[in-house]
Amino acid sequence: MSVLFPKWLNAIPTIGAAASVGGLATVVFGTWYWATPDFFEVGYMPIQPELGFSHQIHAGKLGMDCRYCHTHVEESPEANIPNVATCFGCHAETRLRAWETQQVSWIREAYANDESIEWRRIHKLPDYVRNFPHHVHVNAGVSCFSCHGQIIGMPVVYQAHSLAMGWCLDCHRDPEASLVPRDKVTDLIWVEQDWMSEPVGQRVHEGVTAQDLLASIRQAPPQNCGACHH
Amino acid sequence: MSDQCPSTLKKNAKGNGAGSNDAVGAAAVARAAGGVVHGARGEGEVRSHRMHAGAGAGGGERVWKSLEEHSQTPEFREFVEREFPKGASELLTDSRRDFIKFMGAGLALAGLASVPGCRRPEHHIMAYSREVPEEVIPGKSLYYATSMTLPGGGAEGLLVETHEARPTKIEGNPLHPVNRGKSSPWAQASVLSLYDPDRLKFPHYVNPARASEGRLEATWDDFRAWAGEHFAAYSANRGQGLVFLADKKSSPSRDAMRDAVRAKWPAASWIEYDALGRDASVEATRLAFGRPGREVLRLASAKRIVSLDRDFLCGESGSMVYAREFAAGRRPRAPPDDMNRLYAIEPRFTMTGAAADHRWRVAPSRLTSVLVLLARAILARMDEGGTGTEARGLRAALEGLTVSGEPDVPVDALNEIAADLVAHRGEGLVVGGESLGAAALAVVHAINLALGNTGRTVGFLEMGDDEAASSMAGLAALAQMLQSRSVSTLVCLGTNPLFNAPADLGITADAFARVGATITLGVGRSETEEASTWSLNAAHELESWGDTEAIDGTIAPIQPMIAPLYEPSLSEIEFLSMLVGENRPGHEIVKQTWERRLGPGGDRRWRRALHDGMVSGSTARAMTPTAARSAVMASAAEAARAIALHAAPSSSSLDVVFFSEHLHDGRFANLPWLQELPQFGTRVVWDNPALVSPATARALGIMPEDYTRRQLPRAKMVEVTIDGRSMEIPVWILPGMADNTIALQTGFGRTACGVVGEGAGFNTFAVRSSGAAWVARGASLRKTGGTHEIVSTQNNWSIEGRDSLIRTMDLERWKRFGDKVEQREDHIYAHASQRLNMAEAMGELSHTPPNLSAYVNPYNNSIGEPSNADRVRDALGRMSPPVFAQGPQWGMTIDMSTCTGCGACTIACQSENNIPVVGKREVAKGREMTWIRVDRYYVGDSLDDPAAMTHQPIACVHCENAPCETVCPVNATVHGPQGTNDMVYNRCIGTRYCANNCPYKVRRFNFFDYAQAKFNGNWVGTEAFGNPRNINFIPPRLREQVDEITKMRNNPDVTVRGRGVMEKCTYCMQRINKARFESKLQGLEGIPEGFFQVACQQACPSEAIVFGDILNPESAVSKTRDNGRSFLLLGYLNTRPRTSHLARVNNPNPALVSAGRREEWEHDPFAHHGGHGHDDHGDGHGDGHGGGHDDGHGTDDGHGSGDGQLHTLRRIPSRASEDTGYLGSLSVLSDGVGDGIGSVSRAVGSTVQMGLTAMGGPLA
Repeated sequence: MSVLFPKWLNAIPTIGAAASVGGLATVVFGTWYWATPDFFEVGYMPIQPELGFSHQIHAGKLGMDCRYCHTHVEESPEANIPNVATCFGCHAETRLRAWETQQVSWIREAYANDESIEWRRIHKLPDYVRNFPHHVHVNAGVSCFSCHGQIIGMPVVYQAHSLAMGWCLDCHRDPEASLVPRDKVTDLIWVEQDWMSEPVGQRVHEGVTAQDLLASIRQAPPQNCGACHH
Repeated sequence: MSDQCPSTLKKNAKGNGAGSNDAVGAAAVARAAGGVVHGARGEGEVRSHRMHAGAGAGGGERVWKSLEEHSQTPEFREFVEREFPKGASELLTDSRRDFIKFMGAGLALAGLASVPGCRRPEHHIMAYSREVPEEVIPGKSLYYATSMTLPGGGAEGLLVETHEARPTKIEGNPLHPVNRGKSSPWAQASVLSLYDPDRLKFPHYVNPARASEGRLEATWDDFRAWAGEHFAAYSANRGQGLVFLADKKSSPSRDAMRDAVRAKWPAASWIEYDALGRDASVEATRLAFGRPGREVLRLASAKRIVSLDRDFLCGESGSMVYAREFAAGRRPRAPPDDMNRLYAIEPRFTMTGAAADHRWRVAPSRLTSVLVLLARAILARMDEGGTGTEARGLRAALEGLTVSGEPDVPVDALNEIAADLVAHRGEGLVVGGESLGAAALAVVHAINLALGNTGRTVGFLEMGDDEAASSMAGLAALAQMLQSRSVSTLVCLGTNPLFNAPADLGITADAFARVGATITLGVGRSETEEASTWSLNAAHELESWGDTEAIDGTIAPIQPMIAPLYEPSLSEIEFLSMLVGENRPGHEIVKQTWERRLGPGGDRRWRRALHDGMVSGSTARAMTPTAARSAVMASAAEAARAIALHAAPSSSSLDVVFFSEHLHDGRFANLPWLQELPQFGTRVVWDNPALVSPATARALGIMPEDYTRRQLPRAKMVEVTIDGRSMEIPVWILPGMADNTIALQTGFGRTACGVVGEGAGFNTFAVRSSGAAWVARGASLRKTGGTHEIVSTQNNWSIEGRDSLIRTMDLERWKRFGDKVEQREDHIYAHASQRLNMAEAMGELSHTPPNLSAYVNPYNNSIGEPSNADRVRDALGRMSPPVFAQGPQWGMTIDMSTCTGCGACTIACQSENNIPVVGKREVAKGREMTWIRVDRYYVGDSLDDPAAMTHQPIACVHCENAPCETVCPVNATVHGPQGTNDMVYNRCIGTRYCANNCPYKVRRFNFFDYAQAKFNGNWVGTEAFGNPRNINFIPPRLREQVDEITKMRNNPDVTVRGRGVMEKCTYCMQRINKARFESKLQGLEGIPEGFFQVACQQACPSEAIVFGDILNPESAVSKTRDNGRSFLLLGYLNTRPRTSHLARVNNPNPALVSAGRREEWEHDPFAHHGGHGHDDHGDGHGDGHGGGHDDGHGTDDGHGSGDGQLHTLRRIPSRASEDTGYLGSLSVLSDGVGDGIGSVSRAVGSTVQMGLTAMGGPLA
């Protein structure tokens, strides 16, 4: 019998057990690491039409406020993408013609033809999330920075956070860490460097602390399913 | 028979030969609970079925939903005991082999199709370009006021919700006097006709010279070129040979364009018709008053109403107003409140009949006889009082008529009605329907005048000549012209004569072919359009300018919500303007018409009117009486002599009544919401069977087949012959129909309208003639041998084995005990705690031990009422009251007293919540998706003549202790902090445990991709392997997806649910959330009362649904919840529903009710403690109807006399499916009652402990 079943075969169950444990661990780890929005959503950076739009130049270098283009963010659930007329307001033939005729001719064409520009969508919540009101968050003092990242520093916008439900809930459970003074909501550089860089307990701006901001919220951020899914 | 029971109308579903065992068990329970055996219907009382009807819905009667439930066949028992009908949870309708064959092919393709699916799809954002439309803020909805013409005249004022200029939801305009914020199913569904993928998209042309080429696709430019030439020829002969056939509707601008057409072509004919026009009603006013008038009922001031086959609550242009005003008089808030009283005498069970306090079924042939007897009785009584002198001539004329045969309504009853009307002079009302004929209706007007009602409860408005013109006469004139070939051009404006013209006139496609040129302008496809030389696509009312005039004369603008989807297209007025050579845009036409009406400051008032959606103060145009009262009486006497009296119909010479419902004359046939909205009375969907009474069906051998093990019963096909014309149609039963009478519904059987309406039902216009448009006599009926599947929702979602679903009481009893409240230890109520009102005393709650749940609801933080004192730590770490003690807490009440069963709530919910339709086959399997259903119950023992009909809308009741939540394995249904029971679609894995555990049966499961796959009319019909196959076999990815145009009507605030997901009422969570953040952003403290409405509440014409914050004592819902009529459906299960129902109150004439019923008024529903010795009723129903009669829960309805014997409760093996917990608690109760416990507190005190022990619950 020993010829048929050599002694080393006795190790097979041990090896098998170890392999299955290892395999299971790999699958679990793999799923946990790769199969989550943190891995496959963050960093999504589609190519925008033509030359795209550089937030770095407009919002950063030129210092334009977010609300110059996203006009309705304080009053509508949607932070609107500006219509072509907004772009044309500066990029018309009669304005800013010093250097960039070539680069913005497509905007002028779109305006002349009254066509829309097919911007690629980056931040998209799933269809079963039916309620994410921008205006409520902005008015409560949640900065653009908290969800969209340091967009002022992005020549090409990408998704900075997973936008997964757990990530939403992290903030809804502990809103204090994300609240900024209402007038600083769109001041992303300040938010990143002067406010968020401080520990929550030590954040003060003109005498207003993070705790004060929290106390000013009238309703606790909802954590029930029906608040977003219906 | 020493005592009576509380008037719990019980659902008598169990039994089936269980015989005395049942009775014994039930009696024991009844005794245990203090003895509540019903004995109100005194034995020995001989009641003809008519008297029975007169007795109305009293107490303790059995209620039933269908023939099958009434007769309790074993197959039916099996059917209702299943969660879904047999096969509903199975994919296969065809053979397994076919399925595998098909799946194989599908899978091979699916592999190919999935290859490109790996990449993340790229989404585009298309922002506006040069300019953003005025006031549009992306992401926010805008509301615009507009209006809608109703078929046959009248209008509704609407408010349309638009999302980025895309209309998605129709609501009633709160300022419009017709709507007052409410809306009809037709208005709700009009958004669906806008996005109908089968709409006409471009013109079609048939070249008469080359007819063999068939219909050619054409353009509007082609038509303009053709028309320019064609109509130029008519300038010479002033329009001789030119005929316009227009839809009868109320629109000042259309009238203006009509005048323009007449001015240009004076010799042309302009005919307006409504296929279901009420010609006799107009003629009657002409007979009585000398000129035609538009009758407007003022039900708000009517205390006594008699309706002779006039269904004023349904389908009339004033129905919205009538339903609201009628309901206002039937909503007793406190016992002193009085109610109106409605007597209905009608052949078919109508919505009005269901709302009535007394109802008699009378064949249409006999209606005039009943009227004559009633009129005589009224006038005689007035004469006695010396007030009817001016009507003596009329009385003499009526006395001169010979009424043959036995009176269909007992003379006593007619005398009592007459006495009631005379006693309420000036606040009574008699109305009659088309089936009476003009002469009889003229007498009705004279009676109202004699009684002093005219001007108080009914008014008449001036009527234009065209409005007053008879539709049938117009069509007859057209037929005459077609016959004599004197029509050279026929222009059909929104009409479909080839489908809905009477069959005897000969308006056929052949006649059309002989006309030189036929031009049809319409929004949807039609039979007429297909037979026309030119078929032109019209703009929808939501796409064009126009105006309307409501029944009371209020004018309202129609403004476009969206540019025409299929450009170019013209509205009716623009088209007429083009024909007369003006080519003016609609906006200009309307504005010019209005300049005259608005007067000085016109532009300002025009803008105001556009904003408000109506012109205030434009209502009055009351008819100035030209004839003196005596002249009216004289002409009525003249008319009375012409009243035709007929003998009762027989089985060889049947009466036929025509009626219409959701589809009207067929114009709404392609709207799936309306096809799938259960029809009144029958709850049939997608079909229009001929309706007969059960007795007639039995006599003629055409009862529908019984329930089989496989599916629903099939209806027998018959051939109905009227006047030599016949049609084949299935027959269905409507309890409460007059015997030997057939009711035929119009609007079905379209052959050209789109995939939804084609092939649904049978065209009854084929047997309708112009002389007998509403009633036909001498019809015969012959069995043809075939069967047809009729799908009715009446047994779907039946709540089985439960009691006291329906509670009704008479006004007298309500007045005695309505404000009585019993204080007791009870933890059922969330808000009005520890009090048992009258409605609750009528149900099980008074017989059960107080619920002490072992389950501690985390939101309550207690097993009882949450109190502000029990503070807990909230999400932000603050100490707050328990969640349910913090406002707002949402709740709803539904008033069964005012619900008419119209279905507006169902359609509004469907529209608001993106609820798909599923088609006939799927409804047959119980898969309909509507979140709010209206359960319809017949009341009374007689199958042929049920005493009453009661409606109960049920949606998710949002239990605080929700049974569905505890069984969901994936937490897909969870509770919200504001008391809503939320569905999380993305978590749902489709186990359906929740639906299984829901006692209210309100959960709906997406068995297939109803919302996302293209609806082909029936989810069946894909030709595969030579046979029609279920398209659901096609793998989802390969299935044809819903059109882009159909998607446009979806509400963007609500998820479109996919296959395999459970759904149900959310209390319009999207509206709650919106209100939550909007009120917060506006800086309001909380959500104020009335800040928003839920969709069903908003639509309900009779304001039966109230929604709001139950913690706010000032809110409307708190007040209705506190009403003595408010009860919690199945409250004894300790589900703590947030929706409560309000018991129906009837106001019968004391002189017309049986002695037993009158005795019951004195019976205190709270006084059922102590042994009364009437606990046995073993012999069941003496009249032989139905088998068993009880289900072991509390009350019962037997007729037997008690013998005082004590029985113990036995579990009956055949009822093993019943909830044992409840039975367990009852068995405990029965222990303590043998000696007749006197006081409530003692009964409660002694049983709580035992109840919990018996159920094995951990007692704290």
